[in-house]
Amino acid sequence: MASSAAVPFWRAAGMTYITYSNICASLVRTCLKEPYRAEAAAREKVHFAIAKWAEGKPEKPSYFNTMFMYSTYLFVGRFKKLVDRKQLS
Amino acid sequence: MAMAALRREGRRFLISSPAVAPRSAIFSEDLGSFGTRSISTQVVRNRMKSVKNIQKITKAMKMVAASKLRGVQVKTENSRGLWQPFSALLGDAPSIDVKKNVIVTISSDKGLCGGINSTSVKVSKALYKLTSGPEKETKYVVLGEKGKVQLVRDSKKHIELSIAEIQKNPLNYTQVSVLADEILKNVEFDALRIVYNKFHSVVSFVPTVSTILSPEVVERESEAGGKIGDLDSYEIEGGETKAEILQNLSEFQFSCVLFNAALENACSELGARMSAMDSSSRNAGEMLDRLTLTYNRTRQASITTELTEIISGASALTG
Repeated sequence: MASSAAVPFWRAAGMTYITYSNICASLVRTCLKEPYRAEAAAREKVHFAIAKWAEGKPEKPSYFNTMFMYSTYLFVGRFKKLVDRKQLS
Repeated sequence: MAMAALRREGRRFLISSPAVAPRSAIFSEDLGSFGTRSISTQVVRNRMKSVKNIQKITKAMKMVAASKLRGVQVKTENSRGLWQPFSALLGDAPSIDVKKNVIVTISSDKGLCGGINSTSVKVSKALYKLTSGPEKETKYVVLGEKGKVQLVRDSKKHIELSIAEIQKNPLNYTQVSVLADEILKNVEFDALRIVYNKFHSVVSFVPTVSTILSPEVVERESEAGGKIGDLDSYEIEGGETKAEILQNLSEFQFSCVLFNAALENACSELGARMSAMDSSSRNAGEMLDRLTLTYNRTRQASITTELTEIISGASALTG
């Protein structure tokens, strides 16, 4: 893996590029005005149930919803503030 | 006046119904007074009614699938532009030999869609056999209930993740990318092979495999030369290294290819459902024709029996 010198803050926080681009996309979507905002919100809906399997048996499935995603955005926002204030390097 | 007419009608009905009752007694399966036996038309009539209902339902399902297909097809064609640049840049190498393979099988949640799920599962199993060997590890990630049910029968030890309820909302990129993210986080892989049915037209769905390599393998391949070896001729802007960019590109490529694969599979599912329901309504129509013939034959046979009884009775009286 590359040295930590060139790693962007979101990679250091454990996010993948996909999560990062999704957050940026939803930020862009919140900049819209009505009625386009409602149309764009319809394009952001997420729902699926994922179950991990261990030794041939599925464990209890966990549900992914649009609300679940938004909780990660708050986490990242706080992390970025800490990095900017140089409290975390 | 009206009451008298009604009473007359009622009396006519009463007269006719006792005549009907013995006729249905003759029609039901029992030995008549002269040992005549006739097949019941009630049973045939019930069957005809249920087959007609089934035909109506399958016709309606075909219409629904056709209308949904139009919308999804537009989305699919637009999504093809997402992964084509990746194929141009990084190439698609299905014959690559790596240690850790993960087979992502895309199938549908609902049934009545013909044989597309079985073909996907067959291709996945063949791919599993191809990629397994000493020191190699192959795992399944299943999207959709139908594929999971089929794979659980003999490969349940090799399933890593199973995902359901994808089509609750119309497919959009955000959903598939979150899904891709989950897969990337939970599964270790050197190469991901996505198995899906590519939508060529309403009657043709071809099972396809798309291969996505992890960034380390891409790095290794680019050093080895070949199509990916041209990566060094690109200039990298910004403060990022090549490994960094390759990792971002690989994740984004997986997300885009998975999005396209999910859409193509949804299109194929709708098209397959259309043709399955179409052939089902046609079969129901043929069945209805045959049942009508049987019904008419039995009805005419029983009428003939009655007529011969009446005539022989009359001739016995006069003669």
